[in-house]
Amino acid sequence: MLEVRKLTKVYDDGTVALKEVSFTVPDGEFLVIIGLSGSGKSTLLRCINRLIEPTSGQILWDGVDITAAGQEELRRIRRQIGMIFQQFNLVKRHTVLTNVLTGRLGYTSTWRSLLGLWSREDRARAMRNLELVGIADKAHNRADELSGGQQQRVGIARALMQEPKLLLADEPVASLDPATSHSVMKYIEWMNRERGLTVLCSLHFLSLARRYGTRIIALRAGELVFDGRPEEIDDRRFKEIYGDEAIEVEIR
Amino acid sequence: MERAERVPQPAPPNGRRLAPLLSLLFPGAGHIYAGRQERGLWIAVTAATLLTLLWWLKFWSLLPALVPFWLWNAWETRTIVQGRRPSTVKLVLSAAIIVYAIGWRVTEIDVQRLAAGAQKIRPFVVSLVRPYYVDREVTYAAFPAPVQVPCGEEPSPPPAGAGSGPTIVPTPACASVGETITVRGEGFPPNVEGELWWENPIGDRVRLRSGGEFVTFVADEQGTFEVKVTVPDVVPRQFQESAQLHTVEARYVRDVGPWRLTETSYLVAQRMGETIAQALMATTWGAIFAVPLSFFAARNLMQFHPLALLVYYLARTALNVLRAIEPLIMAIVFVVWVGLGPFAGVLALTMHSIAALGKLYSEAIESIDPGPIEAITATGANRVQVVWYAVLPQVLPPFVAFTVYRWDINVRMSTIIGFVGGGGIGFLLQQWIRLTDFRSASAAIWAIALVVTVLDFFSRKVRERFV
Repeated sequence: MLEVRKLTKVYDDGTVALKEVSFTVPDGEFLVIIGLSGSGKSTLLRCINRLIEPTSGQILWDGVDITAAGQEELRRIRRQIGMIFQQFNLVKRHTVLTNVLTGRLGYTSTWRSLLGLWSREDRARAMRNLELVGIADKAHNRADELSGGQQQRVGIARALMQEPKLLLADEPVASLDPATSHSVMKYIEWMNRERGLTVLCSLHFLSLARRYGTRIIALRAGELVFDGRPEEIDDRRFKEIYGDEAIEVEIR
Repeated sequence: MERAERVPQPAPPNGRRLAPLLSLLFPGAGHIYAGRQERGLWIAVTAATLLTLLWWLKFWSLLPALVPFWLWNAWETRTIVQGRRPSTVKLVLSAAIIVYAIGWRVTEIDVQRLAAGAQKIRPFVVSLVRPYYVDREVTYAAFPAPVQVPCGEEPSPPPAGAGSGPTIVPTPACASVGETITVRGEGFPPNVEGELWWENPIGDRVRLRSGGEFVTFVADEQGTFEVKVTVPDVVPRQFQESAQLHTVEARYVRDVGPWRLTETSYLVAQRMGETIAQALMATTWGAIFAVPLSFFAARNLMQFHPLALLVYYLARTALNVLRAIEPLIMAIVFVVWVGLGPFAGVLALTMHSIAALGKLYSEAIESIDPGPIEAITATGANRVQVVWYAVLPQVLPPFVAFTVYRWDINVRMSTIIGFVGGGGIGFLLQQWIRLTDFRSASAAIWAIALVVTVLDFFSRKVRERFV
């Protein structure tokens, strides 16, 4: 269970990105975070694995306070949290296989990783995960030779390498076309249902949030303005989250 | 502040006429009167500075160049009291006229001298098209004929019998000192050029002159020539009283044998190699030291802790200070330190390469995509692993490109370093220029040009491949 308590983030320039956000995520949930650009979705996700240091508040994961963890402990926590990104964040000049293997860095000693001495199991695991996302044949291509959808699947394979218990997905389909979006979202859904991962996923499109989320929270200017089931978001709620000017667009 | 100034301010009731007049009296005065104190002050200070400069340098003839600025400032005052916005660009341009006029004077730009002095460098320019890479072996051929000085009782000896080779015949065959005789040559190689020498009875030789210039001859198509020479005053004291036989001699230099490489060519090749090696050493050592330094001097990697940020500032300052010192000055220091020679040059270039590469590398690191760093950090990797897997792959191509380019630059720089004793081809070039051996200097210059061109081509190829 993940518990976020009064999480606040104020950037150095004074921008308040999160204002005392509190919510709880039971294990196995597919939580979708929605909100306008700049509403604090990315900051919230990055605070959970402390890519961004929270200003105040607590994040408890199975009773362990992530916000209080020291460097070593933090790395042990991070390797159990997979993350995928809007821009995929692959190392473009490396091969697909190497990119996937970097998911094991948290479990590999420094000198072995500097020499590229990946263990036999890790290599096998990497190939398995690439097969899982359907791009095993691209294992030895350079990452930037792949299409956007394929690159995101490499990102998913990399996250799977960590054997995570929690998956953070920061707008995973915002750079993809609708058809590819669904294929990527289905992999995330599969991780949630078949592997039992808890998923925290930020999304732009409400239609996608409704389709995949088991629960939705909404941020507006850093504040939690909605927390409930997808079908509870009616027209009034929608305007609360996105503002009066907004019109809902559908992505199928 | 700037925005507030743009709002037209109401002119004082009588200001409309007075303000431009005040500005004409002294620039800026009208602005201040019309309520534009800051602008007025700037203009007044500028005008005062320019006037002081003219007074100090005694450049009174440049006063007319101030007129545009003076008039424009008055015109601008009128614009302001009418409530319109003045054009700063035009004001600055009008002030620039006087600045450029002063600059022209101070730097003593003189187009006439540029044209008049051109012929002084002719020997050098001529040598540039004849680099001294190859020459041929030469022979000196000398053809003597007797001359009696002065004419006396003793009969002139008969002229040497006409053999198969070249001969010369002086007419008349006797003369006194200071008299002119004609020397006629026959049977010389067509078009050959040569010199005329004189030998007295005790074997002293002088090259003949006419009006201060050496006498030369040029044979025609048939191999004949005729030259007038004056009998030189080289009669030894003990022979002053009697007539003696002297010798006039025609000499020419002839190229024989095959073309061969000159000593200069060997020297140029050897020292050019030294220069390339110097640049290679300096670039390699520079890169080895610059890589770790550059990571400390990259802001995006050093923001994780205040202490790290301090290291960043220290590294950056060190690089900047090091880069500010010209390699030429460093070379002078190292020549004192380790003595003349290529090692001093290597050290000087290394120091400069560390600074230049360190800065370029760190900027390359700062401009990388932060995404992969974020992703690798999120997997639980430690700092070393993050640098190895997310930073290095991104910075390697620019690093290689910068390094190869630096080698190219170092070759060019090491030629200059040689001028102050840092070894390499610059050392030779400097010597040849001082000895006015321009053909050898030209050989060195062409060699440098060739090597730099080849390296430039090579470094571009490498850069294209890696980006």
